[in-house]
Amino acid sequence: MIESHTAVLDRDVTWTGEITTEPYEAGWATEALFFVRVLDSGGADAATVPVHVEISPDGLHWTRHDAVLSLGTAPGVYAAPVTHFGNWLRLSAAVPADVHPRVIVYLALKG
Amino acid sequence: MIPAGYEPLDRVVYADDFDRGAQGWTLLTGNYERSLDSLIAEQRDFRPPMLSSLTMWDTGTAGSLHGTYALKLATRPHPGSISVALKRTTFRRPCPIQVEAYFAVKPEATDLVLGDRDVRAFGIFLDLQDGRERVMPHLRYHNAEAGERRHRWLFKKDRPPVKTISGETRSHFHLGPDGWLDVPGGEQDLCYNELPTKQNWHYLNVGFDLRSMTYTHLHCNNRTFEVTDVSPMRMPAWPNLDQMLNVGFWVETDTAVRAFLYLDSVVVSAGTPS
Repeated sequence: MIESHTAVLDRDVTWTGEITTEPYEAGWATEALFFVRVLDSGGADAATVPVHVEISPDGLHWTRHDAVLSLGTAPGVYAAPVTHFGNWLRLSAAVPADVHPRVIVYLALKG
Repeated sequence: MIPAGYEPLDRVVYADDFDRGAQGWTLLTGNYERSLDSLIAEQRDFRPPMLSSLTMWDTGTAGSLHGTYALKLATRPHPGSISVALKRTTFRRPCPIQVEAYFAVKPEATDLVLGDRDVRAFGIFLDLQDGRERVMPHLRYHNAEAGERRHRWLFKKDRPPVKTISGETRSHFHLGPDGWLDVPGGEQDLCYNELPTKQNWHYLNVGFDLRSMTYTHLHCNNRTFEVTDVSPMRMPAWPNLDQMLNVGFWVETDTAVRAFLYLDSVVVSAGTPS
């Protein structure tokens, strides 16, 4: 049977400015899905904010993965699938000053 | 299968080697109803555990004691940040129980420095309830505070203030920094080994009797501590917690560096009631 695991990286937090989620190790998994559940988009421009998946060889130094997701202008669930990510994963975004999305972040792993 | 090195009592309740996944060990969050706004502030942001291969920037993957993966608890890089993992079961009969674990504790290797005073503390707790009482044994290894080494085992017996969330839901911050008392003779230096990227595994063994709700023993590596005067938190039974047998571990950081607690494996066993 395939292993699977979902981690809740942030619960009911409001993103402001430069954000990164906490590093999460997932070397055992072969595929990952970041889910961002938007409770409140916090501004009309939320959909213009790219949220990048980042990867790292050591949990300390990071580079962008190809995967990216955009938040919607309405509450809902937005997702980005990720493969070939090594061991560490996180999300990164630069949120404009007039946007304050309130979110729950899940990382669903399988392998 | 019981990993090598363990000395369980007569009946193994569970033997969790984290090479087989999380096996019920999960993030702790405070209690809430209707809105997360009802959470106690200190319990809003406990961090989730993860399966780690102990991979370091300078030496690559070490793996765990018995394989590749350990359960890793990681704080945020904020002083006082806590990560907790626990497993929830129930007990069948009052009897002696024992919790054994192989663990390693380290700060994140953010800087090229020793870092041995970045981790403030780590600990183990039980959360138990029989028909009369809720009993919460807590043991904390106080590693450092404000840049000073402490290196001693502590316990907590005074219950923290309770927040009533509804008629049948309450919450309290039992891992807070206040109220810790010295385990008699509880000073212990644990092997740190010179770099934050080198982990040495330690053995922990905590015994507790569910009949008397008292400690029976505390061993860590080569040390055996006197527990006659070590007491758990005790309080009248809470609603809907009967026969609860929860085991938890936590780690907290003292600096702006993440603190990590790795659990290779945990074995909980029960003795035969005499």
